[in-house]
Amino acid sequence: MIENGADVEMLLEISDLKTHFRTPRGTVRAVDGVSLTLERGKALGIVGESGSGKTILSRSIMGLLPRHGVIREGSVKFRGQEILGKSTKEMQSVWGREMAMIFQDPMTSLNPVMKVGRQIAEPLMLHLGMSKAEARQTAEKLLRDVRIPEATRRLDQYPHELSGGMRQRVMIAIALACGPTLLFADEPTTALDVTVQAQILELINEQRRDRNMSLILVTHDLGVVAGFTDEIAVMYGGKLVEKAPTKVLFERMKMPYTEALLQSIPRLDQPSHSRLAVIPGRPPDLVNPPKGCRFAPRCAYARDRCLTEEPQLTVAESPDHVYACHYPVGSPEYHERRVELSKASTAVGGSI
Amino acid sequence: MSDTDNLVHAVDTTDGGATNPADSPADEAVKRRLGWGFWLCIGWIVLMIVLAFLAPYLSIKDPNANFIDMSGKGRPPYGPSMDHWFGTDKDARDIFSRTLYGARISLTVGFVAIAFGLLVGGTLGILAGYFRGWFDRIISFVFVILLSFPSLVLAIMLTSLIERSLLTISLVLGVLSIAPVGRLARASTLQYADREFVTAARQIGATNRRIIMRELLPNVVIPMGALALLGMAVAIVAEGGLAFLGLSVEKGITWGFLIQLGSEGSTTLQKSPWIAFFPIFVLFFTVLALNFAGDRLRTYLDVKESAL
Amino acid sequence: MRFWLQRVAMAVLLLLSVSALTFGAMNILGDPLFNILGPVAGDVNNPDSVKLIEKAKAEFDLDEPLVVRYGLWLSDFVRGDMGVQFSSDGQPPVSDLIKERLPRTATLVLLAQLMAIVIAIPWALATASRAGKLSDRISTMNTFFLVAMPNFALAIILKFVLSIKLGWMPLTYVANDPLSSRLWQMVLPALTIALPVAAVFQRLLRTDLITTLQQDFILMARAKGLSRRRVLFRHALRPSLFSFITVVGLNTGALIGGSIVVETIFRIPGIGSSLVESVLREDFPVVLAIVMIVAVAFVLINLLVDILYSIIDPRVRR
Repeated sequence: MIENGADVEMLLEISDLKTHFRTPRGTVRAVDGVSLTLERGKALGIVGESGSGKTILSRSIMGLLPRHGVIREGSVKFRGQEILGKSTKEMQSVWGREMAMIFQDPMTSLNPVMKVGRQIAEPLMLHLGMSKAEARQTAEKLLRDVRIPEATRRLDQYPHELSGGMRQRVMIAIALACGPTLLFADEPTTALDVTVQAQILELINEQRRDRNMSLILVTHDLGVVAGFTDEIAVMYGGKLVEKAPTKVLFERMKMPYTEALLQSIPRLDQPSHSRLAVIPGRPPDLVNPPKGCRFAPRCAYARDRCLTEEPQLTVAESPDHVYACHYPVGSPEYHERRVELSKASTAVGGSI
Repeated sequence: MSDTDNLVHAVDTTDGGATNPADSPADEAVKRRLGWGFWLCIGWIVLMIVLAFLAPYLSIKDPNANFIDMSGKGRPPYGPSMDHWFGTDKDARDIFSRTLYGARISLTVGFVAIAFGLLVGGTLGILAGYFRGWFDRIISFVFVILLSFPSLVLAIMLTSLIERSLLTISLVLGVLSIAPVGRLARASTLQYADREFVTAARQIGATNRRIIMRELLPNVVIPMGALALLGMAVAIVAEGGLAFLGLSVEKGITWGFLIQLGSEGSTTLQKSPWIAFFPIFVLFFTVLALNFAGDRLRTYLDVKESAL
Repeated sequence: MRFWLQRVAMAVLLLLSVSALTFGAMNILGDPLFNILGPVAGDVNNPDSVKLIEKAKAEFDLDEPLVVRYGLWLSDFVRGDMGVQFSSDGQPPVSDLIKERLPRTATLVLLAQLMAIVIAIPWALATASRAGKLSDRISTMNTFFLVAMPNFALAIILKFVLSIKLGWMPLTYVANDPLSSRLWQMVLPALTIALPVAAVFQRLLRTDLITTLQQDFILMARAKGLSRRRVLFRHALRPSLFSFITVVGLNTGALIGGSIVVETIFRIPGIGSSLVESVLREDFPVVLAIVMIVAVAFVLINLLVDILYSIIDPRVRR
């Protein structure tokens, strides 16, 4: 995992990225000072509940935001070049060509009145200057790459004639069309059947390896990112709260929030029908975020300090693992509270 | 349409889709106020009604008298002056007082027409929506037939068959408004007929008559009220069109007739544009006021576009 | 297939009802005998008049029951025989009048429809992509003004400004001019009809475009790196056209209504102005024929709209 810094190509360097929206209700601080880096060929998972700012973060990196009412500050360097201040026009040569995005819902993300072939051919003709015939040929090849049967016939079909999984494959084909170096996948499997989910993730991963792309996988499901990413960033309330190489994170997570996220996914080693832990409460209001730690109001391990003093990102045992918590998992205060909690729950259980 | 207009004011949408963080409580507030524009329009409409009503009692000039000027201004028409605010037509009749008198017929026709349309169309629509079945099918088909003519063509056809008096012209235009009003009433009734309070009333043994009068009517009347202002505007314009074509109330002064007088022949409009233009302005502002007020009211009462 | 059969059956039923009602109204409320003969019809004591009355009754089957007369009229009508004009000397067939005048009205309405569409689409695209900005609000106000302006008033204003004051446009239509100048003379009348209609179209399309622009596939299109223009034209426009097309069809009625007024103001001898003339002269066969032609056109256009619909939206195709 740890590589020699000298010959690693840094594809993406984000520092203190802020993305705020002006609304009638006030300024929504959807992304509030996030720093990240991503090497060429690596996969980063961004994990959080809905409303944590993970989707906005990915779109903000790409620059794919509404034109008005948005404040975007900080720095986003792509291949060493600052892209944050670039105009939409300048970014259009980057979108689809260098950076591409797979969206969440394949049902609504494909144009319903345009043939699939045309939709794939569009960026090919635009960015690579292909002729109609060349683009069509390439589109067919792309459909084969994403393992759609009868590719030739599919070119002339409309999205509504395809199944959900098939449509997501089409979307992947569109994203891959111009050979981007950075691929964003925003909850690419949420809208799909469970059986199809694994296939789609496998396909994305395989294409990433074959094409030496970097991947940013946005999801609410820690289970999804586990097998497919090199590093994981956990977001809460518009902030980065923990970041570590995947293996390290799963072995030694520091944030109670990360732990809670992990407990909210079903696991095979648990007996079936065992209750899933649900994180109580709702994500914070990003117009008036809580003063201290943004997770504190929902955190079982929070103390007075958490409500008043905002924790800063701290380096854990290994230097590539950072977290923002006053009383992280494994600290004495954490254990103390944990004992109290288990006592309370057995007491409740005993009384029944 | 305008509810959506208000909603998009807050969020730019071209590049939108990415996020829609605007949870629009402020838009809600905009929607829930009628605004000064609405009251301005109502003010104009009330002014017009009052002036029209009081026209014979105001000390304005006789609309049918000829004010030939002997002091060397030559032959009429005369342009606007202190004496004749809106000028005179080529028979030296005062345009200002004629415009006020014109309001009498134009507004009456507009009012009676939409009242008739609401009464007949509303009743048929509610009954069709409540009883459904074959009755609904027949009524709906009648509405389709009425709507399958361009309204002006239908109006012209009907006026050709009758004596053109104030009442008959009003009724002809009322017939035209039956189908649009009826469809709205039917749609609103369908919307309410299955609600709990109607089912509840039926279960405690209320008669159909009671359910319709007590439960449905109050709910259906609200969207119709907003439609009434828009419908009145449409009727006034339609009357204007008929009058312009010489097919409205015979020998009566109406706005459309005045406008027609101002534009007939090849030189009237060129030499004395005021004859046509003053009535045009008054007609235009009245219709605009009715449209705007009706539109605001519809937004305010939150009548769904689809129901129209 | 079944769907289309139903649509066509409905259209035929509608036309039959419309024609029956119109025919009935004309014959019950009006007095056909009086319309044919004038005052002579009431002069039953004069043997000469009686002879004329008998002749007219026989010629026009006036002694037959209404239903039979309707059947006769209908079978004539579908074969292109629309009866004779009462008001003209020598009673020339109505179809002659229609043949002469219908093309002018058709041209006018078609030209107006085209203008309305050509004006409305770019207008809607421009305002939808700037929704909420000052230019969009000004445009909304303009649409309000245009919609509230009665067409005869608009005709007079446009004629006054463009023809009389500026002299850019011809004042009236001259039936004997060459085709190109007649088309040019049609431009202002067509514009008069088209402007308010374009305003209605624009408001509708703008609303639908704004909805479409919030769809995921628009974001997807942007993420492909397509230009704003391309996103608007290639991705947003077509899925937004559904209700636009319906309303374009439905509004043909408004166009035909508008043409009646405009033909009168600009002195275009089309079927619209002839409808007004024949009503004033109580020439019922002409009125009946024109009303029927308008109704047929209206119903056919709506059928056409349904077909267009299925071309634009692949989802309703089978």
